[in-house]
Parts: sequence; C-alpha cells; structure tokens
Amino acid sequence: MSKQWIFDEKSDFLNKLRELVDNGVDPHALETITPFPVHEADHILHTRTSHLRFFTLAGTLTGLIAGFAFTIFTVMDWPLITGGKPLISLPPFLVIAFELTILLGGILSFVGFLALAKFPSVKNILQPPEEFGNQFVIQQRGEE
Amino acid sequence: MSSLKGTYDQLEKDVLAAMSKPKKSFWLALAVSSLMFAVGMGCWGWQIYKGLGVAGITNPVGWGVYITDFVFWVGIAHSGTLISAVLFLFRARFRNSFNRTAEAMTIFAVMTAGLFPLIHLGRCWLFYWLFPYPNERLLWVNFRSPLVWDVFAVSTYFTVSLIFWYVGMVPDLAIVRRYSTGVRQWIFRIFSLGWRGTRYQWEHYGKLYMFLAALATPLVISVHSVVSWDFAMSVIPGWHTTIFAPYFVAGAIFSGTAMVITLVVPMRRIFNLEKYITVSHFESLAKILLFTSMIVTYSYIVEYVLAFYSGHEFEIAHFLYRTFGDYKYLYWLMLLCNSVLPLTIFVKKLRRNLAYLFILSLFVNVGMWLERFVIIVSSLAKDYDPYAWGTYTPTLIEAGITLGSFGMFFTFFLLFAKYLPVLSITEIKEISE
Repeated sequence: MSKQWIFDEKSDFLNKLRELVDNGVDPHALETITPFPVHEADHILHTRTSHLRFFTLAGTLTGLIAGFAFTIFTVMDWPLITGGKPLISLPPFLVIAFELTILLGGILSFVGFLALAKFPSVKNILQPPEEFGNQFVIQQRGEE
Repeated sequence: MSSLKGTYDQLEKDVLAAMSKPKKSFWLALAVSSLMFAVGMGCWGWQIYKGLGVAGITNPVGWGVYITDFVFWVGIAHSGTLISAVLFLFRARFRNSFNRTAEAMTIFAVMTAGLFPLIHLGRCWLFYWLFPYPNERLLWVNFRSPLVWDVFAVSTYFTVSLIFWYVGMVPDLAIVRRYSTGVRQWIFRIFSLGWRGTRYQWEHYGKLYMFLAALATPLVISVHSVVSWDFAMSVIPGWHTTIFAPYFVAGAIFSGTAMVITLVVPMRRIFNLEKYITVSHFESLAKILLFTSMIVTYSYIVEYVLAFYSGHEFEIAHFLYRTFGDYKYLYWLMLLCNSVLPLTIFVKKLRRNLAYLFILSLFVNVGMWLERFVIIVSSLAKDYDPYAWGTYTPTLIEAGITLGSFGMFFTFFLLFAKYLPVLSITEIKEISE
C-alpha cells in the first residue's frame, strides 16, 4: 500500500516530512511533488546532487576541441593564405572554438536534463497523472 | 493568515487571464504590426525581384540601413539574456517580473536580426555558403573573417537562448496544461514534457537552469563583441579601435533595456499585471538604463580622445566629419537621445513615472539605431582617398524593410503574449513565500 499526504502550507509539509524521516522511513521511498523547488525538503531527504554537470562538461570540452580541430582541419585541407596571415591563426579560431564550447555545452546540458529527469515522459503525456496544483504532496511507496 | 495556496492560485489566474480572450487593443496592435510585417516582406520581395539596386547602398557606402538594422536588433536581443542570465546569477529579484518577456524578446530580436545579413545579400538564396560544409567546390569558409564569426555567434546565441527560454517555461507550461482543455491541452501536455514537480525533476531542472545561465552570460558578451569586430577588424577610420567590443556590449544592453521598457509598460496595462510588475521593478530597470547610458557616453568620449591623442590624421578627420559633416544632425540627435535625456533618470520622481520611462525608452531606441547608422555610414562615406568619397541616403525600400522588421518583431511578441505565460509563475511563487 502506498500512502499520500497533501498540504496547503509548505511548513506543514516540511514538518510531516521531518516526522516521517525521524520515524525511520527510508527517504528513498518518499517522493514529493511541489509547485516550486523546496530546498529544505532536499536536505531532509538527502536528495542527491544532479549529475548534470558531467553532461555540461562533456559538451563544453567537445565544443572547444571540435572548434579548434575543425578550423585547423579546414585550413590544412585547402591551404589558402588570406591577408598574409598564418594558415593556423589561433586567435580567430578561438572565437569559433568559444562559440562551439557554449553551443555544445548548452545543447548537451539540455540533452542531459532530458535523460536524467526521464523527459519527455510519454506515459505522463498520454495519461496525465493526478494534478495537485499549488499543494505540497508527500507520497510513500508501499513496502513489497 | 491567508494561505499561500490561495495567493498562488490567484497568481496563476491573473497571469493566465492574459491568455484568454484579449482586449480590442490587442487585436488592433496585432493588425498594425502584421501589416507592417507584410509591407516589409513586400519590399524584400521587390528587392529580390529587381536586385539590390533598389536599395541606396553603393560604393563607397556598401553597408547602410540593413547592417544598421542587423546591429540594432542583435543589440535589442541582449538585454533578454542580461535580465534572465546575469541577473539570475546575481540573484536580483526584480528580474522575475521581466525575464520571460525579455527572453522572448531575445528570441524574436535574434530572428529579426538574422534576416538582415540575408536581406543584404544580392542572391539571398545562397546564404548557406556562409556555413562550412563539404561542397563540390572543395572550399571551406574563411574562419579568419569576422563575418563567419558572426554566423557562429548569432546561431549559437539563438540556439542557447531558445533552450534557455523553453527550459524556463516548462514548469509554467505544466500549469497551463492544468487550466486548458481539448487540443490546447494536448499541445501543452507535449511541451510540458510530462512535468510533475517531483524532487528529482526540480533538482535536475535547477542545475540545468544554472548551467544555462552560466553559459549564456559569457555568450552574450561574446556575441556583441563579435558584431563589433565586424567593424573593428577593418582599417576604416572610426571603426578600427580596440574599445569597440565593450562599447558595443554596453550599447546593446542599453538599447535592450529600453526595448524591455517599451514592451512591458503597455503589456502590463493591457494584461492587468500591475500587481506583479511594480513601479519599483521598473525603477531597477531604469537604473540599468542610466548606468549603461553613462558607459555609452563614456565610450563616445573615449573614441574622440583616442582619435585626437593618437595624432592619426585620418582618425581626427573622421571624428570631425562625424561631428560636423553630412550626418551631423543624426549625430547630435544620437547624443541627445543616448547621453543627455537618460540623465533625467537621476531624478527619482521621473524614474518612477512609467509614462515618462516609456517615452524615454522610445528616444533611446531611436538614439541607439542612429548610433549604429552614424558609425557605419559616416565611416564608409569618407575613409582615406577623397576620390572614393561619397554619401548615402536610404531608399523607400530600405525604410520599408526596416519598418517590416519592427512589424515582424512586434507580431511575434504579441503572439507570444497571447499564447504563452508572460510571467514566470513558478519563480514568482518561489520568491513570494
């Protein structure tokens, strides 16, 4: 059997959450649904920090390397001196590398978010789960 | 104590009311702006049919109103990111009243700006030559050219801003989903991705938003720096200066903030959002406007000092020409709009007067458009060799396309205000507890 508590006030919600955890309920068995992020609840439940940062890091590094690699590859592929500048002109290539760092960093962060938070959730789109509006909800998964 | 839930429910109703049946003034505004848009598209069609000759640009002034418009719209885009990303990182609370609108403005302004390099091309259907892709000519683009940097900067800016805007909206779209029915509900169901508001959803979401803000902040600075290098990398007097990047970035934020004021003052009135977008919030925006105005003014002064102190006779001649030459009236009008009028914001009474702020923002918009025009045209009109001097007057087609760009921007903005939540409901809830 799973249990559910619904509150209008954040303070009541937090008190109940604290009470549950103090009474030995496993925080992993507790799910909360709130209208906005409630960081106090994360502390009580020891919510793990998101691993999203690895996606961001991977994206930015890929962008940076790809930016330099691609620009250098193109000038070596068809060597054409313009403006008397060296073929491999790092300062202008840095601009491209910088933009790609941000671009891939942004895109991969978004992809990482979708992957980690399991979005888009086809199940929830086809059949929307119960809506709680502006209420604070605690759900306890039942013991098998 | 009245419950917070009641307050939140009221907030949702107030914001979503904007998405229900709009007032007559909304339809009127939409009709006018889409007409302007249509005029612009018609002018562009004519230009494609007849050729670039219908525009006034020719030798020596090969960059005219189109590039002015491009820089203007990219500039307008900047305050969106400033308000949403930079002020987010600084935890400035007043941003919540403006961030959604400002981000939408960024998207539409970049879209508008992105059209101008295409309009400026004689054969606009070959625009994809700007992108580096393997082709039968076996050639790559020249990565040393600032114009190619522009392609990368502007497309990155558009993509990242779009992601940032959309991500910020997901929890709000889930709220709209709850209030809507039928096909509309289906659309919001899909775009809210099945959002529920569980603790891990919020955790990943919060991290994503922070990373995007952190990525967008250096991006916004780079984009207008790159735009400024379109000019500064050349050796034309008046353009070839190292202060161009910070000067343009400050100008961009200045003009963008003015545009936010121009849009939000009427929007607040039309959609009855006085309770959420307060006069104090506008006062904070006005302070940004004043601050950036002073940076811009300082840059104007530095430009002169650099020219005269360097003793470079062409630079000196150029700045004398800019001040007293063919375009002097535009130059002095620009100074009035950008440097003198914003000083009135020092008076508290004026910066808390929304009607005054609205009118002032219109002057700033005009002033910043003129700034780009003066920089571009006066430098090209008289560079080095007197044999190659000439002047430039825009044609009606160029004016029509400029009008059309405003039409396009306002049309998209009005549609946004009608179909999406104009305030970040979730963030307002979060800070109002």
